[in-house]
Amino acid sequence: MTDATQHMPSASAPGKTFKSLTVQDERTKQRNAREARFRLYGIAAIGAGLVFLVILLSAILSNGLGAFQQTFVTISVPLDPAKLDKKGERNIEDIKKVSTFGYAPLIQNAMLAKVQELGLETPLVKGKDMKALLSASAPAQVRDYVIANPDKIGETVEFRLLTASRVDGYLKKRVTRESIERDKNIDAAHLDLVDALVPAGVIAKQFNMDFIFGADASESRAEQAGLGVSMLGSLFMMLVVLVLSLPIGVAASIYLEEFAPKNRWTDLIEVNISNLAAVPSIVFGILGLAVFIQFAHLPQSAPLVGGLVLTLMTLPTIIISTRASLKSVPHSIRDAALGIGASKMQSVFHHVLPLAMPGILTGTILGLAQALGETAPLLLIGMVGYIATNYPDGLASGFLDANSAMPAQIYEWAKRADPAYYERAWGGIIILLVFLLTMNIIAIILRRRFERRW
Amino acid sequence: MYDIPNKTRNLTVTDTKITARNVQVYYGDNHAIKDVNVDIEDKTVTAFIGPSGCGKSTFLRTLNRMNDTIDVCRVEGEIEIDGENIYDKRVDPVQLRAKVGMVFQKPNPFPKSIYDNVAYGPRIHGLSKSKTDLDEIVENSLKRAAIWNEVKDRLTAPGTGLSGGQQQRLCIARAIATSPEVLLMDEPCSALDPIATSQVEDLIDDLRQQFSVVIVTHSMQQAARVSQRTAFFHLGNLVEFGDTDTIFTNPTDPRTESYISGRIG
Repeated sequence: MTDATQHMPSASAPGKTFKSLTVQDERTKQRNAREARFRLYGIAAIGAGLVFLVILLSAILSNGLGAFQQTFVTISVPLDPAKLDKKGERNIEDIKKVSTFGYAPLIQNAMLAKVQELGLETPLVKGKDMKALLSASAPAQVRDYVIANPDKIGETVEFRLLTASRVDGYLKKRVTRESIERDKNIDAAHLDLVDALVPAGVIAKQFNMDFIFGADASESRAEQAGLGVSMLGSLFMMLVVLVLSLPIGVAASIYLEEFAPKNRWTDLIEVNISNLAAVPSIVFGILGLAVFIQFAHLPQSAPLVGGLVLTLMTLPTIIISTRASLKSVPHSIRDAALGIGASKMQSVFHHVLPLAMPGILTGTILGLAQALGETAPLLLIGMVGYIATNYPDGLASGFLDANSAMPAQIYEWAKRADPAYYERAWGGIIILLVFLLTMNIIAIILRRRFERRW
Repeated sequence: MYDIPNKTRNLTVTDTKITARNVQVYYGDNHAIKDVNVDIEDKTVTAFIGPSGCGKSTFLRTLNRMNDTIDVCRVEGEIEIDGENIYDKRVDPVQLRAKVGMVFQKPNPFPKSIYDNVAYGPRIHGLSKSKTDLDEIVENSLKRAAIWNEVKDRLTAPGTGLSGGQQQRLCIARAIATSPEVLLMDEPCSALDPIATSQVEDLIDDLRQQFSVVIVTHSMQQAARVSQRTAFFHLGNLVEFGDTDTIFTNPTDPRTESYISGRIG
C-alpha cells in the first residue's frame, strides 16, 4: 500500500514541481499575446484594403454609371420634300447635296410644333430657340436616315434624337440654374421648357448604346461621344500583342528553362529579363517611337505600333510567369520521360508543357490585361490625343490607320474642358474594368480546366 | 545472418551484359564515384547496396546516362553494354535509354491515362504498326508487371489515381513496354508498404527471365531476397562485388561485414 503511493507522481515529489496544463505560464501568455496582436494587424491590413476597394468601386460606379444613360428627345419630323429634294426626282445625288444646315430648321420646327401641341407656356416661340435643346448631331442623324431611305421623303417620321449636352447635364444635376447664368448656349427659359417636357415624356433619360459602341466626337458634342472606335483600337493592339508575345515569350522561356546551359550569359539574360519587367512603360514608348516610327517609318498612332510597343512591355511578364510555371513541374516527370527514351524536346512538349499550360495561360492573360490598361507608352506614339471618330475600314486599316485605345480615350476625355466629358471618362473606366475582369475570369476558368494533379 | 532463399542459378546462360572499367564520376569538384570496375551479367538481378551517399544511385544513373541531365556531372572511364562504349560520342542517349530502361525511387506516372502511360514509350519509338499492335504491347506489359488484373477495366483512368504500389508497377510496365534489355531500378520499393514491396519483388524475380536487372536498394533483406549478385558501395568505392550468398554470409572485406551486420551505415 505505502509502496504503491510512493511511486505516484505528486506535486510534492522532491526536485519536481507540478505544472498544471490548465494554467498558462508567463512565456506561453506572452507568445499567445504576440500571436493575437499579429492576427489583429493582419485583419486590420485586410480591412484597410477592403475599405479602399469599396471606396474606389463606389466612386467609379457613382460617377460613371450616368454615362451609360443619355437624354433623348422623341419627336416626329416631317421630311419636307420642298427642302430636302427640290427637284422632286428622288435622285440620291441631289439629296446628298442638302447639308445638315438644311435639316436643322426642320428638326427645330418639329420640336417647336411639339411644344405648341402640348400647349406649354414659354417665351420661346421661334424654331431657332429650340436649337439649344438639341444636340448638334441631330441634323446629321436625320440626314443619314434620309439618305438611307430616300423614299421616306414627304412622310413624317418619329426620331429619337440626342438632346444637347447641357439638357442632359440638367437632368443629371450636373447643370444647374446657377451654373448657366453666364452660359450663352442655354438659358433659364430652356430649362423651364425641359422641366415641362420631361413629365410629357418627350424628353427622357434612356440607355445609350452609342456610348459603348459609338465613335468619339468633337469637344463640343460630349453627348455624342462613345468608346467603340478606341475599343477596336485596343482590340487590334491586343491581337498584335497576343500573336507576338505568346509564341516569342513561351519559346524564350522554354529554351532558357529547359535547354540553355547555365552559365554567365544565361545568368545575365535572366537578370535583364527581370529588370525589363520593372522598366517604366514610358521607356518602351520612347523606344517604340524611335524604332518603329522614326526608323522603320510605320504609321503614327497605328494600333500595329501600339501593339509592338506593348509586346515589348508584356514579354518579360510572360517569360517570367512561363518560367515559373515550367519550374513548378516536378522533376520526376522529366526523369520519367527521359528514362523511357524520350528526347529532351519530347519530354518538354509531351509532358512538361501540358502541365505548365495553366500557368502560362494565366500569365499571358494577366500580361495582356496589363497591356490593355497601359497608357503611358501610347502617349509617345501618338495614340493619345487622336480623336477616334471613324471606324476602321477592314482588317488592314484596323492595324495601320490611326486610332486611339481605351485608356488613351479615357485620358483624352478626362482632359477635355466640358464637364460632360468627366462623366464619360468614369464611364470609360467602368468599361475598361469590365474588360479586365472578364480577362481575369477567363484566366481563372482556363486554369481550372487545364489543371491536372500529379 | 540473413535467410538466403534457395535460388537456382543457371550459370551457363549468364554472360556479361554491362562492363564498367575505371569509372569516375565528379559532381563539380566532388569525386562521387572512384574507379569502379564491375561486370553485370545478363538475365541476372544485380543489387547495389551501401549506406546513404555512397554513390550507388549515381553509378546506376551512369548506366543509362541519366547523369547527362545534371550540368555539373562529369563521367570518366568506360561503360560498355554488349561491347559498345555508351559514352562514345556517336551514341545518342535517347537510343541508349530505350535499350536501358529505368524505374525511379518515387512512382512517377505521367498525369495521363493508364493506357497512355504504358503506350507512350512504344509510340515515341515507333514499336507498333497499328492500334491492335499497341493494345497488345500495353496489355502484355501490364500483365508482365502483374497489374493487368487490377487495371484492365479502367485503362482510361488517370495513372496518378492508383495507389503507390500500383503506380510503381505501372511505372515498371511503362519501362518494359519499350522492350529494353537492361532495367535499372533506383530503390523501387522505398515508397511502398510491405505488401506492395513483396509484389514488386516477385515481379523483379520474374523480370530476370528476360532482362538484366540492376537494383539499388537500402534494404539488405531486399537485396538478399531478389538478387543473385550484390555490389557493396562505400564512400564512392566499390568495396566488394560477388554472389549475393557470399556477400551476405561470408564477406571478404571488413567494411562489408560491418555494414551488413549493422555497425556502419
